[in-house]
Amino acid sequence: MKKILWASLVLASSLFATLKIDTTYATLGAVTQEVGGDLVEVHVLGSSKYDPHFIVPKPSLLSKLRRADLLIINGGGLEVGWLPPLIRSANNRKIQPGAEGFLDMSHFIKMIDKPTSVSRAFGDIHAQGNPHYVTDPHQVIVMAKVIAKKLAQIDPSHTQNYQHNLEKFLKKWEAYLKKFDLKMSQCTTKKVLQYHELYNYFLKRYGIVSVGNIEPLPGITPSSKHTLELIGTVKENGVKKILQDVYHDKKAAEFIAAKTGAKVVVVPHDVGSVKAADTLEDFYNTMAKSICN
Amino acid sequence: MYKKLALFSFFAAVSLMAESEIDTLKTQLQEQQTMTQLLLKKVNDLEKKDAQKDKETLEGAFLQNTSASFSQNAYLPDIALVLNMSAVGRDLSNTQYENFAIPGFIDATDAELPFNKDRGFNLNYAEVAMHSVVDPYFEVYTIFHLKRTEFEIGEAYVLTTSLPEGLRIKAGKFKSSFGRINEKHQHSWNFDEQPIIYKALFGPDAISDAGIQLQWVAPTDTYTMVGVEAMQGTNERSFGDIEENNLYTAYVKSSLDITDDLSILGGVSLAHGKTATKEQSDVYGVDLTLREQLGSYSALIWQSEFLQRNKGTGEKQSGLYTEVVYQYNKNYSGGVRYEKITKNQTDLSIYSGIDTDNLQKYTAMLQYKPFAFSRLRLEYSYDATKIIDGQRTDINTVILSLNIAAGAHGAHAY
Ligand SMILES: [Zn+2]
Repeated sequence: MKKILWASLVLASSLFATLKIDTTYATLGAVTQEVGGDLVEVHVLGSSKYDPHFIVPKPSLLSKLRRADLLIINGGGLEVGWLPPLIRSANNRKIQPGAEGFLDMSHFIKMIDKPTSVSRAFGDIHAQGNPHYVTDPHQVIVMAKVIAKKLAQIDPSHTQNYQHNLEKFLKKWEAYLKKFDLKMSQCTTKKVLQYHELYNYFLKRYGIVSVGNIEPLPGITPSSKHTLELIGTVKENGVKKILQDVYHDKKAAEFIAAKTGAKVVVVPHDVGSVKAADTLEDFYNTMAKSICN
Repeated sequence: MYKKLALFSFFAAVSLMAESEIDTLKTQLQEQQTMTQLLLKKVNDLEKKDAQKDKETLEGAFLQNTSASFSQNAYLPDIALVLNMSAVGRDLSNTQYENFAIPGFIDATDAELPFNKDRGFNLNYAEVAMHSVVDPYFEVYTIFHLKRTEFEIGEAYVLTTSLPEGLRIKAGKFKSSFGRINEKHQHSWNFDEQPIIYKALFGPDAISDAGIQLQWVAPTDTYTMVGVEAMQGTNERSFGDIEENNLYTAYVKSSLDITDDLSILGGVSLAHGKTATKEQSDVYGVDLTLREQLGSYSALIWQSEFLQRNKGTGEKQSGLYTEVVYQYNKNYSGGVRYEKITKNQTDLSIYSGIDTDNLQKYTAMLQYKPFAFSRLRLEYSYDATKIIDGQRTDINTVILSLNIAAGAHGAHAY
């Protein structure tokens, strides 16, 4: 009887001690789960089947933010269209920007494609550089290290657990990357066309050139004039693959494909955006498979 | 360092060659000496270059512009600019329209018409919205409306960011969170015209006053928010007692996701105050929104609100609107709205002989957004709630409006 009491007490206290962590997107969530292990409860706010720039600010997200001990955002302006009012209305002081429980991952990433001049005349450009860094599997290492450090900061009594989880995960991830990089070195795709500059970190890492974007300007729907120009570009460069995200209309990509013989492939942009990308490994594997095969 | 090394190797070489084969060694020595000299020269050159560089950066620093030393640019507030304008067609002259009455709610010449009033062209307003973090405890918001002949503080309030237990306080002048659209500004409505029941009970600015608000978000899986407000109550339609602060509101809002893509938001609100004639005035509100997300840029939204006002004198008046908006893609959306005054138990004797039943309105709109920050909307309404020049008169209106939001990124609404 005493034992049961003790067990339930321990269980209760350990349940109580679970850190509630909200991440804005799924890859950040998956890495957080790896580093946090049983000590954390992770909620992903933005569904990975939708455009990460346009997450619908459902009130149910408020109830998640209300109870979070830590909010990890992608940053780089990706959440600016949906997250700020939610943070404001969730009434949780722990996760206010500037507080200890607010982590902007982009501050730790070497951002690429930083525009030299910024104006909305160029569309909805990312003024702070390209924020879609999760497509590069090597960035996972940075993310994991930063998250481990942050977890230790807000939950110092479990520093060793987080360090242990981190080391274990890094060992696994480095082994994975070794194999992955080797596989990618045999990738025959050298030039691609994409809808939005969503895969630039991945492409840059593996020496694949993006010859253009289907959207004429960031956030602007494809125009026939721009699409016709792209047909020329695709032909000139001998592009074989058109990278299509899961949330935009495929029509323009399919039109270009039909005119050029290139192939449209649906490429996940986040863990869980397609069925075959449920885990971190599968996300990158699926990305590699769709781009290279 | 280089110098020392060179000298050391030089002396080592000299001591080594002491005894034997002086001639060969002499030549070798000479070679080494030249090498050493060359090395020394190189080292000196390098050092000079470094010094030069230091001098240059130092001079550069002196030459640098110091006028920005006290620059506070990083602390400037976020600023957004909204412009709202329209072209209006109406089967009624402007003078007739301005003097409309909604029987039991708004008497002739009593209406305020800040938006889309004139046939032809209207610049409704330019709005300047600013937001800034004050310190670790407060954020500040101001929304200024600039109209043709007036400057109006639409809202100006501080918001706490560091209260514990899910609490937040707002203080200043603000739009009440009563109901569903009360706190929304004209440019974020789904239709250009205000719902009749809002216009009838509160006027174009709805419940907007100086006051203080406390909101609490419950730590539950289902979103639940409770709020109370104490406001001055300068709203002429329902709460106009000018002698003291007289308006108190309370509301509960809750939301849950039925599926990943279907969410529902509901609310119950109460506003309790006193009219200009010191009568008790209570307005009850119920609202319900269902939103089915059909894709990143596509959704079906059904939103309804019912409001009832009970006055101390026994008057009971109510009305509702219900609207469906279909967002087809990033660029296009369309919607329809139906409105009705459902109860009008009040003194209608000045309208005797005029049919005051069946006050209804139908609206349809088509919207085109070339980009997230600009919006063109074509709206048609058939309004059967008005009395013009002592006669029940139905009004047909067509509005083509243009709304621009520039500057700081506004957020997408739920
Ligand atoms: Zn982007």
